Amino acid sequence: MYRIITNNQMCLVKYGDQIQVEYLDGQSYMDVLVKVRDYIQNGWCLETHPMTGSLKPNQTPYKSVMVSDRPVDKEEFYQQEITIENGITACRKFQSIRKTPDWPQNLLEDFQAVDLSLIEGAIQKIL
Amino acid sequence: MKLELGIIPINDIQFGAESKVENGTIYVNADELKALILEDENLKSVELDIARPGESVRIMPVKDVIEPRVKVSGEGAMFPGMISKVAPVGSGRTNVLRGSAVVTTGKIVGFQEGIIDMTGEGSKYTPFSKLNNLVVVCEPIDGLAKHAHEKAVRMAGLKTADYIGKLAKDIVAEEVETFETVSVKEGIEKWPELPRIGYVLMLQSQGLMHDTYVYGVDAKQSLSTIIMPTEIMDGAIVSGNCVSACDKNTTYHHLNNPVIRDLFAQHGKTLNFVGVIITNENVYLADKMRSSDWSSKLCEWLGLDGAIVSQEGFGNPDTDLIMNCKKIEGKGVKTVIITDEYAGRDGASQSLADADAAANAVVTGGNANEVIHLPKMDKVIGYPEVADIIAGGFDGSLQADGSIVAELQVITGATNEMGFNPLSAR
Repeated sequence: MYRIITNNQMCLVKYGDQIQVEYLDGQSYMDVLVKVRDYIQNGWCLETHPMTGSLKPNQTPYKSVMVSDRPVDKEEFYQQEITIENGITACRKFQSIRKTPDWPQNLLEDFQAVDLSLIEGAIQKIL
Repeated sequence: MKLELGIIPINDIQFGAESKVENGTIYVNADELKALILEDENLKSVELDIARPGESVRIMPVKDVIEPRVKVSGEGAMFPGMISKVAPVGSGRTNVLRGSAVVTTGKIVGFQEGIIDMTGEGSKYTPFSKLNNLVVVCEPIDGLAKHAHEKAVRMAGLKTADYIGKLAKDIVAEEVETFETVSVKEGIEKWPELPRIGYVLMLQSQGLMHDTYVYGVDAKQSLSTIIMPTEIMDGAIVSGNCVSACDKNTTYHHLNNPVIRDLFAQHGKTLNFVGVIITNENVYLADKMRSSDWSSKLCEWLGLDGAIVSQEGFGNPDTDLIMNCKKIEGKGVKTVIITDEYAGRDGASQSLADADAAANAVVTGGNANEVIHLPKMDKVIGYPEVADIIAGGFDGSLQADGSIVAELQVITGATNEMGFNPLSAR
């Protein structure tokens, strides 16, 4: 079973009826990462990298990450835990330099489109 | 495989009645070139402009930079699988209009990136300020989807570079550079005492505005594979990556890959440059595992003593980089990685999003968070209003006097992870 953790409404609208989506309405990039960490610590498997794309964590407000209930061994768990912690550390670093701006609606939609495109590469592998 | 590059130095670009290359100047018939670009029905209009070294000109937002080249002899044509038919390039002779470039700009999305200043502080950080640039400003038809818009701008750049390159097909080169890759067997016989060195070239491959094409194939759809370095010089690899200006590899970077040039310079002297392995940077962790497994396996199979690994982009490619490094080292192949840093504005924070003890030889392209002040330019080609919404810029980046205060990451090529820039650290 696969699940997308996202704060990107465009992802929910496009894939919400084809795959499980936990939609974090109105929450931040960091909130998504922290939620993904909860999943990993509850035994879920991280399927996509939490820092997909080259958009910076204080630039795009959106993040979509795929997890699954595929069993992970101890070594995989540690690697995934480190990956998500590194993502959270990087996000914190960028937020401390400058907070994500309050973008106008047209820009928010562009950021959503890019985030959707990044996660789509993974979604299309499992559908 | 042997390729000769015929170097034709270019000192100027001008618009003229007839498109031609004469005495180091490229003359462009703008109407003829515009008509060619506008054959793409997804483009509503196109403007051409020229930016020369030292001029008070800012180009933004830059999408790609491409060096005009033309195949004079040998199989295939420039940019195979993109604007010419699929055929193996990398042999024969290719003429290079050295000192010139085609720069594309366009507003594919609202947030933007990529500045080239032709003079002042910013010009020090981008290699493209030293070139005579023909700038292509593309406007799409109304309502064009972002993927189609990105493709239209990308193809407009390639077509323009091809159009300019072909003007120099019959010109006798001033200088000829020769590059040759021999077979694995021949290399072992010729240089039994020299260390066998390979180059692992990582390609951005994640989605909209984050893609790279190899002979027209989207790199995210491919496994790690081997390519001849001279194929890359003939445009076998094309950038579709418009994000993270400072550390993306433009098509110009691929054509002039400095790691390849430096390895060729030492080939047969201090080392045996065995070849290039290309590998991708996908979003799916299983893909990252698979691709790095594959690149390390190819390093082992080629019997390498050492490998140089270069990265592209920010964030998750750090994980691909470290996976490649760790696994290649695990095969007993000594590894040097090339990356850049996001170490905070004071340079004191952790630089990469991943790390491993195997990464004990690292070359940096500089700290992309460093803040710079770019003076006002007399002329801006492109879309100046995007300065506030550019990666590394911020609300108020664009000052009232037209200058820009922003992080180094706004500048195209500033911290390039092939090392095609003056910044580094010791």
